[in-house]
Amino acid sequence: MSGIAQMESSFLRQVALPTLLAAQNSDGGWGFFAGSKSAVEPTSWSLLAISGTHANHSRARRECWAARFLKGAQLPEGSWPAVVGQEEGGWVTSIACMALRASVGASPETGRALAWICREWPGEGGLWWRIQRRLSSEMRRAQPSDRLRGWSWTRGTSSWVEPTSHALLALRGASLSSASLRRARHRRELAQKMLCDRTCPGGGWNCGNTGVYGAAGKPLIGPTAWALLALGEFADRPSVQQCVRQGLDWLERASDGIRGPGSLVLTHLCLRAFGRTTGSLDSQLFARYVEGRHRWQIPELAWITLALRPSPDWLRPQIFESL
Amino acid sequence: MSRVAIRQASSYRADLRDVILETLGEFKLGVKGKRVLLKPNFVGADPSGAVNTHPAVVAAARECFLHLGASSVLVGEGSALERDTEAILETIGLREYLGPLEDTFMDLNVDEVRLVSLRTRASRLKKLYLPASVLRADVVVSMPKLKTHHWTGVSLSLKNMFGIVPGRCYGWPKNILHWAGISRSILDLNSTVRPDFAIVDGITGMEGDGPLEGQPKASGILVMGDDPVSVDSTCVRAMGLLPERVGYLERASLFLGNLKEEKIEQIGESLARVTQPFAVVPEFEHLKAKKA
Repeated sequence: MSGIAQMESSFLRQVALPTLLAAQNSDGGWGFFAGSKSAVEPTSWSLLAISGTHANHSRARRECWAARFLKGAQLPEGSWPAVVGQEEGGWVTSIACMALRASVGASPETGRALAWICREWPGEGGLWWRIQRRLSSEMRRAQPSDRLRGWSWTRGTSSWVEPTSHALLALRGASLSSASLRRARHRRELAQKMLCDRTCPGGGWNCGNTGVYGAAGKPLIGPTAWALLALGEFADRPSVQQCVRQGLDWLERASDGIRGPGSLVLTHLCLRAFGRTTGSLDSQLFARYVEGRHRWQIPELAWITLALRPSPDWLRPQIFESL
Repeated sequence: MSRVAIRQASSYRADLRDVILETLGEFKLGVKGKRVLLKPNFVGADPSGAVNTHPAVVAAARECFLHLGASSVLVGEGSALERDTEAILETIGLREYLGPLEDTFMDLNVDEVRLVSLRTRASRLKKLYLPASVLRADVVVSMPKLKTHHWTGVSLSLKNMFGIVPGRCYGWPKNILHWAGISRSILDLNSTVRPDFAIVDGITGMEGDGPLEGQPKASGILVMGDDPVSVDSTCVRAMGLLPERVGYLERASLFLGNLKEEKIEQIGESLARVTQPFAVVPEFEHLKAKKA
């Protein structure tokens, strides 16, 4: 038995992986639920979850199918659409790129995707946007800063915490051409600053609004977990350490009152990546499974698999012991 | 001429089923054998009870539509900010009111989607992916909370339809709608999927910095009707505000329903009796009616 297999928890072996594998469609992809149409996002999370866990030939074959599905769904310009057949790519590009790289390594497809990520700017900050912002009180209230730009959910819209975090994770350790490398360095610096700029008062992140009308933005689990994982590689910078530490502290405090399985899993995934101790995710997941209260979404099952396996390289912060 | 019913309900422990059933009877909504989709406003954590449509109202409406012979009544919502819908459902205790949710609730953020051409061009959106559960429904019922909103002035049955736009395509938040113009997007969305009925939960509403950070306002009313523009206009009047000054509502009255008081037949409680002035953020002071 491989090292990974030995470390797989009982929930992983008995529930998460079998359910995930059984939900793979014949086209190689996954939908958001078992039996639903394949889409790029759930396929990408699933591929990330199963890649490197080849317990047998069958699982390796499934990984190949999934990679083939993603390659087939990629748009010529290098991005991936949220819905297969959509003509425009979006934030799922970062996740698909991570998944393909984890599965097949650097490839022409991941190269095109990384180049797209590097040249894809959000909508804010351009001349027209700055004029509109000056004229519109609504926009001034909504946007904390137009200098620090990350990535948007969809083309031409604003930077938000989660797509920015996913893009940073996709760029982590990526091999790039020299032109893209320069651009990537610039984008990473801006994005890191943007994430730190968007922390909620008291720590943690929500979608990206630190406050409106004097009311402090309240952090949410998902954006906080992804922002922390993305900032992990910058955690040796003093300017980043404080917001990472505050975010981790908030996440630990919030973990007592978590009500949803997706939030629960992301919390464990993040705290474990930073070496913070967590309770037994296994027992909490089993409790939910036995209760049968919840219809598992495919991304959640994939995140469970990622949380219960040793952290893959793309999630591991560079420096975490001191945080 | 449109009709709007205002019903008093002092608390969520009141017999809401009777109140809603009686009103549905007056509107003679033909729901027998039809698929009904209830679209509440479930946003997230709600310690004051003023953010989300109360599950007691949703459960009562569901019972009523089933009682009237609907072949199915699905509750569907796609929160704009919180991706973990299960966390919201647990927080508001939806299962305590509806029982197991596997067949009764659909997370519209991750439902199957279809690309739909929008029926109007108020915004530049032209097309949107929309959830199959919404497109399959024969009857769509918008069930918002009676709230102020810091971008649009108020958030009622028309604005509530933002929640059908799937996060799986457009993210959390659905920022494409903001970039296309919130008010314009409201018009395009409602012209394409016009709610067949609206039930506004104003038992406890929200004033001030809504839709999330405002203060609870106990209005003690449910406002219902089959013209969402008339229902929203009536709600705005009940909040002590002028509907013709709510930009998207005024424009919606050109093609989606009636806004003017003389074109709305009021049934149930009189407006004068239930009107309570709602506080608004400074940008929307102009919505307030001048004191006589």
